[in-house]
Amino acid sequence: MESKNKNNHSILRIEGLKKYFPIRRGFLQKIHGWVKAVDGVSFEIEQGKTMGLVGESGCGKTTVARLILKLLESDAGKIIFQGHDIRRFSEKEMKPYRKEIQIIFQDPFGSLNPRMTIGQSIEEGIRILGNKHATNRKERLETLLSMVGMSSDSSDRYPHEFSGGQRQRIGIARALSVEPSLIVCDEPVSALDVSIQAQIINLLKDLQDQLGLSYLFISHDLNVVGYLCNTISVMYKGHIMEFASSEDIFNHPHHPYTISLLSAIPDPDPDIKWHVKPSNGHIGDSDVVPEGCKYQDRCTIAETACLKDKMVFEKVRENHFVRCWKAAKNHGSSPD
Amino acid sequence: MTENRSIQISNDNKRSPKKFPTVERFLEGWSVYKENLIGKIGLTLLIIFAVMAIASFFTPLIDPMYHPMTGVDPDISHSTSPSWRHWLGTDFIGRDILCQLLAGARIAFMVGISAAFMSIFLGTIIGMIAGYTGKVVDTLLMRLADMIMVMPTLLVVLILSSLFGQLNIWTIVLLIALFRWPGVSRVIRAQTLSLKERPFIEAAKVTGASHFRIIFRHIMPNVLPLSLLYMTFRVTSAIIIEAALAFLGFGDPSTVSWGMMLQWVWKTGHMFQAPYWLLPPGICISLLTLSFYMLGRAMEEVLDPRLRKEIAQE
Repeated sequence: MESKNKNNHSILRIEGLKKYFPIRRGFLQKIHGWVKAVDGVSFEIEQGKTMGLVGESGCGKTTVARLILKLLESDAGKIIFQGHDIRRFSEKEMKPYRKEIQIIFQDPFGSLNPRMTIGQSIEEGIRILGNKHATNRKERLETLLSMVGMSSDSSDRYPHEFSGGQRQRIGIARALSVEPSLIVCDEPVSALDVSIQAQIINLLKDLQDQLGLSYLFISHDLNVVGYLCNTISVMYKGHIMEFASSEDIFNHPHHPYTISLLSAIPDPDPDIKWHVKPSNGHIGDSDVVPEGCKYQDRCTIAETACLKDKMVFEKVRENHFVRCWKAAKNHGSSPD
Repeated sequence: MTENRSIQISNDNKRSPKKFPTVERFLEGWSVYKENLIGKIGLTLLIIFAVMAIASFFTPLIDPMYHPMTGVDPDISHSTSPSWRHWLGTDFIGRDILCQLLAGARIAFMVGISAAFMSIFLGTIIGMIAGYTGKVVDTLLMRLADMIMVMPTLLVVLILSSLFGQLNIWTIVLLIALFRWPGVSRVIRAQTLSLKERPFIEAAKVTGASHFRIIFRHIMPNVLPLSLLYMTFRVTSAIIIEAALAFLGFGDPSTVSWGMMLQWVWKTGHMFQAPYWLLPPGICISLLTLSFYMLGRAMEEVLDPRLRKEIAQE
């Protein structure tokens, strides 16, 4: 636990991570093209901090999560976790790191085995940690359940007896059962009611304070991300478009995509006029990737240069990067 | 009276739902099952046959002449029609047909259930491994399944028995099992394929559960109801195959099965002379396979809520 309290130390660093899915067509299943689901993503999560990953459906957020958890093999790049590049680790080499990174899923209904009691589901992780004594395990199970705000008598029940929010709590307890240091939250509150969302988010925050956890928080809800995260990465078609601290993203967004995303947040105050600055059109097919900027066809400030030149990640100020030369120029910065 | 009792059970059940989840799930399934007419007929028939099979153990105790294989009525040396001494008559050497019929029920259950159990066991394991592992292993196992599936079981067993002489009843059971798993494994594989994409399997992987653990702790409990359903259909086919083999003269000569009885009728030329001898085993084969089939159909409805008819709320 002591080592987890070291500050300003990155727990996970991703460099140029890539995952291309082949598009196969025809009788011989020849490879026709590639879906560049994750195309050179880099970011860093500090110990005990939360990074938000936002973007619309299909931009590759979940693929990033699955790559980090090694549920999918990545094609290129580095996944440096606690100083080791685990990207090409075999299952055996991965064993000591497996338990360190856990996941909370979006769907609270599918994330628990319907034929196992809550206790059995959570105990599985405790058992894998090597806790041999049944009484110790029972104690640990009760601690975990109380940590996530569930009563201990729920351990003999089956998932179908619980509501979505309760199941999400159980999912969190299951993730905590192996004492991880990083938890990937893949849209953990998107399937819940707003009132329950707040409870779960506060629970996640409390747990972070108690246990010194780091989170990679994936969401499409900017309000939630803004409340919970220290830094935010905005993703579009497999690229990180903008990376900055939470305050900077909300107060000084640079990338036109970020600006349009932020303008789409509804405000509950009826007196405030709501000005959405829409992107043009829809997110297109990922398999038709234009040259140049990936956002060109929807961008409101695109020029001819955007159609050809490859965009680079430019620094606009300390800890604020943007993948748009125009935005970077407007804010008077030097290329990274 | 009975109504009161059933209400009491369901009340108790609601009060302590977490005490016996298996019992609870069983009662829940039963309440759906008992609404099904086909299921009720099937189950009743099955119970009758089970009673017959159990009764077969006791007939030789009454009198040695009621032994299905060796018991011969000392006064009779040819086939006789039903009488008080022999309710269904006797066969060509004076053995009691009713006793043979009861013993046949025992053999039918034995063959049907053991062959079905073995083929389900094989099919479930192979299906889960193929579905979970995927890639080369999946392709190899499924092509093997395809090859076995296109082979006519009856013909293969016939060829084998003509090669190796008379087959023991357990060899026949084993052969039936070996040739009947592919259908099950395909279904289980499909189920596994959809299960393994579910988040709870990924969560187990992420916590570091072994493949073995994932297959047997997480996937198996979820496919088992389906395997059990297929088992009822496999019982039917196993009984029919055994009867056909026995009728064609490739059965185990030391057992009295219904197929064997039919073969004796035919071989001794009583086909059209002794309906009291021909009809009972024929009817029994049909009814037993029918009852297992009905049981399977009703169970299917329990397991798959989409097949349920609208049941009036209490």
